Amino acid sequence: MGSIKIFVKAKCPKCPAVKEIGMELKKEGIPVFHYDLDTIEGLAEASYYSVLSTPSIIIEDDEEREVISWRGVVPSLQEVKQVLFGANS
Amino acid sequence: MSALIEMKVEEARPTGVRQGLTEEIETTDMALFVRTSDEAMNDWDRQRIVDALIRETYVDLDTAKEIAREVEDLIATSKIRMITAPLIRELVDTKLVERGLEQARKMHTRLGMPLYDVDQLILHPNKENANVPHGPEATNLTLAERIKKEYALLSVFSQEIADAHMRGDLHLHDLGFVDRPYCSGQSLEYIKRFGLSLPNSIAMAKPAKHPEVLLAHMVKFAAALQSHFAGAIGWDSVNLFFAPYLVGMSDRELEQLAQMMIFEFSQQAVARGGQAIFTDLNLYWEVPKHFEDVPAIGPKGEFTGKTYSEYMEESQRFAWALFNVYLEGDGSGRPFFFPKPLVHITEKFFQTPGHADFLDHICEVASEKGNTYFVFDRGETAKISECCRLSFKLEQTDLEDARQPWKMRYCALQNVTLNLPRIAYLSKGDDTQLFSKITEFVEMAVRAHLEKKLFIEKLLSLGEKGPLALLAMDRDGSPYLRMHRATFLIGMVGLNELVQIHTGQEMHQSRQAFKFGLKVIAHMKLLTEKFGQRYGMRFVLEQTPAESTAYRFAKLDLRYHSPKSGHIVKGDISRGEVYYTNSTYLNNSAVLNPIERVRQEGLFHPLIEGGALTHIWLGEARPSKSSLANFVIKTFRQSQNDQIAFSPEFTTCNLCNRTSRGLRTSCAYCGSKDVDGITRITGYFTKISSWNKGKIGELRNRYRNDAFLEQREEGIVLKAG
Repeated sequence: MGSIKIFVKAKCPKCPAVKEIGMELKKEGIPVFHYDLDTIEGLAEASYYSVLSTPSIIIEDDEEREVISWRGVVPSLQEVKQVLFGANS
Repeated sequence: MSALIEMKVEEARPTGVRQGLTEEIETTDMALFVRTSDEAMNDWDRQRIVDALIRETYVDLDTAKEIAREVEDLIATSKIRMITAPLIRELVDTKLVERGLEQARKMHTRLGMPLYDVDQLILHPNKENANVPHGPEATNLTLAERIKKEYALLSVFSQEIADAHMRGDLHLHDLGFVDRPYCSGQSLEYIKRFGLSLPNSIAMAKPAKHPEVLLAHMVKFAAALQSHFAGAIGWDSVNLFFAPYLVGMSDRELEQLAQMMIFEFSQQAVARGGQAIFTDLNLYWEVPKHFEDVPAIGPKGEFTGKTYSEYMEESQRFAWALFNVYLEGDGSGRPFFFPKPLVHITEKFFQTPGHADFLDHICEVASEKGNTYFVFDRGETAKISECCRLSFKLEQTDLEDARQPWKMRYCALQNVTLNLPRIAYLSKGDDTQLFSKITEFVEMAVRAHLEKKLFIEKLLSLGEKGPLALLAMDRDGSPYLRMHRATFLIGMVGLNELVQIHTGQEMHQSRQAFKFGLKVIAHMKLLTEKFGQRYGMRFVLEQTPAESTAYRFAKLDLRYHSPKSGHIVKGDISRGEVYYTNSTYLNNSAVLNPIERVRQEGLFHPLIEGGALTHIWLGEARPSKSSLANFVIKTFRQSQNDQIAFSPEFTTCNLCNRTSRGLRTSCAYCGSKDVDGITRITGYFTKISSWNKGKIGELRNRYRNDAFLEQREEGIVLKAG
């Protein structure tokens, strides 16, 4: 498994929930990258992945290819883990 | 009257004059005569110099008198046989400079053109804008533009901004039209409801009763608007708003009306400067959601008692008829250059019966003639396209205005384009420098907008008696030009070259280079938001069409940033055909399959709120309508691209009047060498013979997707990365 990219904005009511998921996954040693769309880096990266709404989560493989994404929605930690474990196995 | 005065030294001058003037000799003693621009002969009067200095500058009376006397002395003692007003003014200016009165000299400037330049202008075509033909009316336009340009740079904009323009850090568009806004979007509902009642017009027309009259009103109003805007005149939902007038018309009648509309707008070479009106027709197959329940206006400007959703059939039939005409082309089978048809592709489009056939129909036109622009309004977004690629997303207040569609009038007040490669040369590979310079340049563009806004507001404040009477006219409780809804555009040229200079790679060459390009535009986008909040104005990024700006910037950078720039500019330096890649485009010559170009260029589009477009250069290829339809659907579903257009190339014969596919040196039918190439220059079709050198260079480099669409149709896959 490559990495998880999380896209958030400051004024976004659902974003804290996604940030929490990110923290949980980080604890388990999974590389998690946060991107804030109010910053240059964040907005550029979001554009590259066509992320038009926050929060969004993108899981990539080692070649930086998108495996799955949740855009504008908050998945459960369980759902994300399922994809990660599934992809790892 | 202007100070266009010609002064001649009379043949037999008094001895005293020939020997030089003294303090005692009065001006009337000078036997000079003055030929004024109102065709009268006046005596030489030194006081005129004094009056001009007092009227035009802040110099004191004593200094003015002193200067006048010195100039008079100079003229009297000179051997010059004919003295012209520009010469006198120059002599006065010299005296101002000698005294260190630089501001006064600036205020006393005479605007105009050298005799040689006027001679050249009258004899040779202007290639700055391929939509300006060569003729007396065009010469008038160019002469007026030259003076207004100088006026703008001296008087409307601060010296800092004017210098930045002249250096080529940025480009202030349409300076020759400084006393007008840039471009605009209209609603037919305005003239349907209020008729044609224009300020300064000698006759007033009530709302139209018949479709032909409505069309006549539309064309006249467009011509009036062209005199008040520098650029495009866009019309929203044209087929839908015509629909209440079309009830009961046969297919033949409808096609006749469609033909009239297209020919009327394509043969306006009698309008301003002989320019065709840059007209955009926005068309919908469906009834746009925001107009569904809106009461329809019909003949005599009366409400028909129905809503627009009840006119879908007439609206669709008219749209179909318009594309029949586009398919046929003009009398020589050439594509119509104007009006441009922009078809909005939305979710509702795909839910509307008959959409597949209509898509095939407009794709056939795209393949055969190239006219169709496909505008993608994804999700709940509704947009109006205006100029080349400029579009406006309708906001909540606009959607409320949609209940009274005549209120839906929009404008962009000005366009300022940044020379991105210049920023990279100046930054010398340093990231911090680069982003800080971008901020500096965007800030300059914002200041240019503030200065233009102030100027236009001054003109508008004169109301219906002022120079912008048409824009100040009030028929529905607010002026025609709704300043609160104005947009201020910030464009860019040469993102690809900025990335190339800064990272060593062009955007199509690596993911890293591409992402760096996105960072630059993201930075600019965030800056426009920040400045928008600070000034309460709508600053948005736009993909400038840059018909001549990409050429101008490249030429200036070859002068100021050589030898580095010599390795960067695109085109052929030995021929002088140099240019920078337009806006956020990938290199024109990069060998990319078209769908990949559409996808990659489309990643920039959500950041460019003012609208964006990807060109697909077809060359001689003639893809089937189904393969183009497939391409359009994939672009809508699987990319973020805002708008696409397919551009075929043609050769039209001036001898036998026939048109063939591809760019050729002789006619495919009669062999004549008297031919013209035709293809899309930026956002419109035109004859290649009218293009500037930069665009010719780009044309040579364009990667044509010959037959690609047909061969690879099955293999096209869109994916990120």
